Amino acid sequence: MGAQTAEDTTGSTVNTVLGPVSAQQLGVVAVHEALLSVVPGAEYGFDVTIDRAEIFQTLAEKLKDFRRHGGGTIVDSTGMFHGRDVRLYEALSRTTGVHIVASAGQGPEEMLGGYFLTPQTNPPTPWPAEKFADLFAKEVTEGMVVPRVERRGAAGLVATAATLGGMTPTDESLFRGAARAALTTGVPVSIRYGSDAVRDLEVLLDEKLPADRVVVGGLDRKDAVAAGAPLQVATRGAYVGLDHAGTEDDAHITDAERAALVAGLVEAGHGNRILLSSNATGVAKGHPANDLPYSYVLTTFVPLLKAQGLSDEDVQRILVDNPRDLLSVR
Amino acid sequence: MSRVNTVLGPIPTEELGLVAVHEHIGYGMPGSELDTRWWRSPEQRYEETVPKLRQFHEYGGGTFVDATGICNGRDADYYKSLSAKTGVHIVASTGFVGGDTALPFFARASVEYLAEHFIHEITVGIGNTGSRAGIIKVGVSRGGRMTDLDKRIYRAAARAALTTGVPILTHLAIDAENAITIFNAEGLPLDRVLFGHVDDGVNADKTRDTWIAEQGGRVGFDTFGYETELPDPPFWARPRKERLDHFLRFIGQGHLGKVLASADANCSPLGWPGVEGHTVNYIFEDLIPDLRAAGLDEAAIKTIFVENPADFLTIQH
Ligand SMILES: [Zn+2]
Repeated sequence: MGAQTAEDTTGSTVNTVLGPVSAQQLGVVAVHEALLSVVPGAEYGFDVTIDRAEIFQTLAEKLKDFRRHGGGTIVDSTGMFHGRDVRLYEALSRTTGVHIVASAGQGPEEMLGGYFLTPQTNPPTPWPAEKFADLFAKEVTEGMVVPRVERRGAAGLVATAATLGGMTPTDESLFRGAARAALTTGVPVSIRYGSDAVRDLEVLLDEKLPADRVVVGGLDRKDAVAAGAPLQVATRGAYVGLDHAGTEDDAHITDAERAALVAGLVEAGHGNRILLSSNATGVAKGHPANDLPYSYVLTTFVPLLKAQGLSDEDVQRILVDNPRDLLSVR
Repeated sequence: MSRVNTVLGPIPTEELGLVAVHEHIGYGMPGSELDTRWWRSPEQRYEETVPKLRQFHEYGGGTFVDATGICNGRDADYYKSLSAKTGVHIVASTGFVGGDTALPFFARASVEYLAEHFIHEITVGIGNTGSRAGIIKVGVSRGGRMTDLDKRIYRAAARAALTTGVPILTHLAIDAENAITIFNAEGLPLDRVLFGHVDDGVNADKTRDTWIAEQGGRVGFDTFGYETELPDPPFWARPRKERLDHFLRFIGQGHLGKVLASADANCSPLGWPGVEGHTVNYIFEDLIPDLRAAGLDEAAIKTIFVENPADFLTIQH
């Protein structure tokens, strides 16, 4: 095994939308998925229909399919301003028996509301890290916001992202705020990097956030793989999110390459730092959905891993133990 | 038949009465809804808002134009209940206060989509409220120059104004050359546009109010009451006398037929502290008395608050 040893998570809990759950009960976790994914503002679009009953039915079927194939927990990594609907997720979790972990956080910069970018001050200075830290931490300690109505449940992680072209100053404030919120609350951080995965990770580490509290998502992007980022991220002790299983496009490596990448990381002793997910969009509004089921990793990708020679223990570690360690509130 | 869209349905222009042409039930920057420091219970919202509207009605106010854009906490169902219970006609906006208040879905949208969206809100309704927008809000982002997104919104607004006959109200009248270039290119007569906030403390010096009027635009002195004399004035405040003198000077230049006036107050602000003591009723309690004291006759006051807004708001066919 690698240099890192897993924390003892025997007594740990994870924040789900229905309350804290023993980390041992999560089962197979899909760490980077979307339940309801709404581009900010799409809810006002004249031709966008948001039928909660229909959305519920679609998501419930997908969650049941996930469960039927051995899934236990879905992490909605869309943050707090991209369609998150805590009450709907509570009902979905109760109905399907799938644990749902929802996220605080937002980003990248272009996805923020003007309140954070051009506030009503002179000059309109964008929000600094400290204010984002407070906004995100309260989502864990006081509850997730249902805008202008109430707080419900506790966020299980902080998710943020950097601009694809490269981290902007406001992206950096988001990252530092996420790191500080994670330090004060004990939940992990899930990031999507901009143009340089390792450099963006370093911003969190610079805030003294332990690397094993971070998952760097999107490391199955071609540019990251070409740069050797997955191994570098694992070497620093952060989790390597290969979370586009089932996506083969201009930006991402193929499933075959993904499986080989996993095998290589395991070979190099980083089996305890790999996380898999499919970035499936359960229901999308204002942007195209992908048609992936949440069960894709279990049904389709795991056989590819087995073909690469991974053992059942390796697979169990990646799908159950690693996300359990990451999501356990410290 | 002359008509104006209010949140409770179209009304005849003749019923508008005295109009507060640029006001807010409650304004907040998009995203402010995530910050609980600004939250108020619905009980508090009504408690802060209803007495102001009732007072407006009792003073003789007829119509309250809410200039709150799509992502700024605009809430047509709430406005309907306020209008029904207080008797004040409320006109809601489609459009955006500025490009920097349009969320990503709209920021990425084409001019064609934005125009279609505005037209839908004017002719079919806002969301599923059934309330049709009576005005199109556009504006200049922070920074003083129109951004590309601001320009797309202005162009879409011009097309929607031409298609529906509903007028346009701008947030800020700086960089008016760019705005007028767009309106001219789209063929929109400039008397369908109210260039607002020519009087605000930050931008008044940079705003070519006379030039705008000469081009045919309507000119909004619509931040009356944001005064440096207030105990805690906002950064856009201006000395009371300076604003009043500016207004009187402008009218004196022969532009009475072009001016509209309002207070841009929030009944109950959604994402900022608001300005204590400043309400829509500044129009009755301070502004109209000041205008009378300055020698304006009742006919002129009627022109500013009744006739000009009626011309402006009436849907053109
Ligand atoms: Zn305003």
